[in-house]
Amino acid sequence: MILLIASVTLRQVGRQRRMLLLVLLALVPVLVSLLYRFAATDDAPDGHIQFASGILATFVVNLVLPLSALLIGTSALGQDIDEGTIAYLIAKPLARWKVIVAKILAGWVLTFGVVLISVVGTGAIVLVGEDGFSLVPAFAVAVAAGALAYVVIFVALSLRFSRSLIIGLAYVFVWEAIISQFITGVRFLSVRAYTVGIADGLTEVSTDILDRSLAATPAVVLLSILVALGTWYSVRALTRYQIAERV
Amino acid sequence: MTTDNSTNGATSGLGAAAPVIGLTEVSKWYGNVVAVNDVSFEIGPGITGLLGPNGAGKSTLLHMMGGLLRASSGSVSVLGEPAAGNPEVYRKVGIVLEREAVYGSLTGWDFVRMNAKLHGIPDADAATKQAIVRVDMEYAQDRLTGGYSKGMKQRIKIAAAIVHDPQVLILDEPFNGADPRQRLHMIDMLRAMAREGRTIVFSSHILEEMERLGDRVLVIVSGRLAASGDFRAIRRLMVDRPHTFRVASSDNRRFAQALVGDAAVTAVELEGGQLLVRTNDYGRFTLEAPRIAQSAGITVRELAPSDESLESVFEYLVAGVRGGAGENS
Amino acid sequence: MTTDQGSQHAQTSDASSSIYDLGYRRYEGARLGRRQAVLALYRESLRAAFGLGRSTSAKIGPAILILFALVPALIQLAIAALVPVGEIELTSHHDYYGGVKFILALYVGIVAPDIVGRDQRNRSLTLYFTRAITRYDYALAKLAAMTTAVLVITLLPQLLLFIGNALAVDDFGGHAAENWDLIFPIFGTALFGSWLLASIGTFIGAQTSQRAFATVGILVAFLLPLTVALVVVQEIDGGWTDLFVFISPLDLVDGVTYWMFRVDTQPMDSIVAMTDYALSWYAVAGAAFGLVCTGLLLRRYRKVQA
Repeated sequence: MILLIASVTLRQVGRQRRMLLLVLLALVPVLVSLLYRFAATDDAPDGHIQFASGILATFVVNLVLPLSALLIGTSALGQDIDEGTIAYLIAKPLARWKVIVAKILAGWVLTFGVVLISVVGTGAIVLVGEDGFSLVPAFAVAVAAGALAYVVIFVALSLRFSRSLIIGLAYVFVWEAIISQFITGVRFLSVRAYTVGIADGLTEVSTDILDRSLAATPAVVLLSILVALGTWYSVRALTRYQIAERV
Repeated sequence: MTTDNSTNGATSGLGAAAPVIGLTEVSKWYGNVVAVNDVSFEIGPGITGLLGPNGAGKSTLLHMMGGLLRASSGSVSVLGEPAAGNPEVYRKVGIVLEREAVYGSLTGWDFVRMNAKLHGIPDADAATKQAIVRVDMEYAQDRLTGGYSKGMKQRIKIAAAIVHDPQVLILDEPFNGADPRQRLHMIDMLRAMAREGRTIVFSSHILEEMERLGDRVLVIVSGRLAASGDFRAIRRLMVDRPHTFRVASSDNRRFAQALVGDAAVTAVELEGGQLLVRTNDYGRFTLEAPRIAQSAGITVRELAPSDESLESVFEYLVAGVRGGAGENS
Repeated sequence: MTTDQGSQHAQTSDASSSIYDLGYRRYEGARLGRRQAVLALYRESLRAAFGLGRSTSAKIGPAILILFALVPALIQLAIAALVPVGEIELTSHHDYYGGVKFILALYVGIVAPDIVGRDQRNRSLTLYFTRAITRYDYALAKLAAMTTAVLVITLLPQLLLFIGNALAVDDFGGHAAENWDLIFPIFGTALFGSWLLASIGTFIGAQTSQRAFATVGILVAFLLPLTVALVVVQEIDGGWTDLFVFISPLDLVDGVTYWMFRVDTQPMDSIVAMTDYALSWYAVAGAAFGLVCTGLLLRRYRKVQA
């Protein structure tokens, strides 16, 4: 059941025009990395590593990841709600949590797939053959975790609000991008911080950005709590869901 | 059109077997807006139609019967169980909603099959085939539903709703946008299903559709139940109630005198420059009045019904229904 | 309805059909021409941009952002009122846009969908194009409205700043007279910047009828090149790679501002300072960017099915 719903969702969301735009977005850091590789003239000893960790921890984690998760996560279930196809999911003798898990799974796979392009592309171009290559698997895992957390949040948002995209946008651009970066006290409430923290924990590479991040263990714990809470909330909201009257 | 019991729909709750669908004092409001206002009725096997103007609350009622909406007060039960918050009830209930929503990236076959699997049907392929054949969509089953016409989408939605062989089928405005051929086909299909013992509830705002399909009808006006029972009887009631006409003629007094002589007229009233005529026989009056005027040499300048509003119809109907409870067909 | 019983005015003996005069009236008055139509479109779009005629919540967004954009100028004004000692410069005319660039991006992202997005629903465009205005008229009127809307948030702060600076020095008239040569760059940069940002915002807003997507698209269109340019210029010393600064419209606005105000040394952390291009290039690039977007906008409406 879960796989069935997830695969239908993959097809529905994956065929939207915005997927192409997101892939293009994901390619931007790759192109910038290409530029770096072939045009940069300075050869500071760990210049590659600095650049890669910079691109990964800022561009990819701050921009590509949340935006992809936003557009994909809000439409995984949101599209069903907007178009009315949600009736096919809830007018069934089917446990609600299965539906939620399926939607989160589909959103996660799509988001992770998109962001992985950035991580692997950047890593392959900049770090191949270098000491810092461990950054790549580290960020791959971190980004997987971050994608899961974001998708869970956005699925919950799409159940609660009809204007989930704008609200999610505000969350990404105001909370994640600005506030949590400049006010260290609230870092523990930021998915961005969790992601970088997990990456830091998985690699011995040490750069400024990584060193300043949240420690790995609290990052994992907090992220898990977030995922659990978000999923629980979504299941509850779906159980109580009432079909909206046509406008 | 016989009223044989196999297609009987709504009962008035007198000693019949447990109703398939039961609403008890159900109301639904959104903030200050009341969509459904204290509605109670019971529905049994056969075809029942929900008739009413747009915005009357038919969709709201159907959504509540289908468990997709919770009543603000009162209770809705299907097959003895509460309709809302009860996923298991969907094993026996199929719903076809009005919106054209289908999963456009799936073929017709895949779409129906998905629904079959989600219902937990052991042999999904067989059930899918059966359902698709029943709605006459075999020829297009391998095309993406996103490319279907409106009528085709409607039929594939019905297939998806009947794939698990439900005992109860709820359809919201199923004839919207259907061409005559599709309409006939759907009517035949629904009749056949009703004969198999199922309970079918559908909504429409078009009288003629009710006439063809719904033997039993529930009339919803402004969120309230205005009438229930046999469609033809209600239609007669709506027409055969006492009417009042406003007349302006070249000589009201003489006209009144002449009219009183006719059997159709029950009362005349002269007020100011106006003549009000009350009649019990709408059909006869509208035929006779011009003849009477002509033979009396009177010019009729205006002849208009003065109580044609839906409210007055409704008031009359509600009074009649409440007064005549237990009126079976 | 073919019989005469109960009908009021029909002829009884006439067996053929006829059309009844129900009293419809034609409009016989003056019809204003295309110019008025375009002006009306411009006016109405502008009203829609600021949420006039709609609920309060529609007015909040643009209003708050304008307020935020005024903050640096207001602070300067406050300082001028409290500490009337010489000219304390918190911010200067030529640095202003760099400081509020996020606000500008957000503003365009919120206002553009209200100007061009809503017409794309329910085949409203078809109605517009069967009127006196041409396709180009429509697109240009919308662009003009958007430019005017952005002008509010670009010009107001600068004017406020000018007044604030003049008030700081006790001699208002004298200060104004001395610095009158700032007026031209103030208006020039505001106009140019507004047009540039508006052309981008309008073009993207015209792609979709859903507000949220348009807003996301516009934000990405402004902030993505900004980030990319910053990264490329800062991290990659490739010489020619500095050309990347020209892909970012917000930086172009900065550059043009420095150019018009004839500022030769820019603040250290601005990307304009990091690259070493003659400032006039920003004007050229900005003009090119704006023209391309305007052209794309015109093209977009040319292809709409009527």
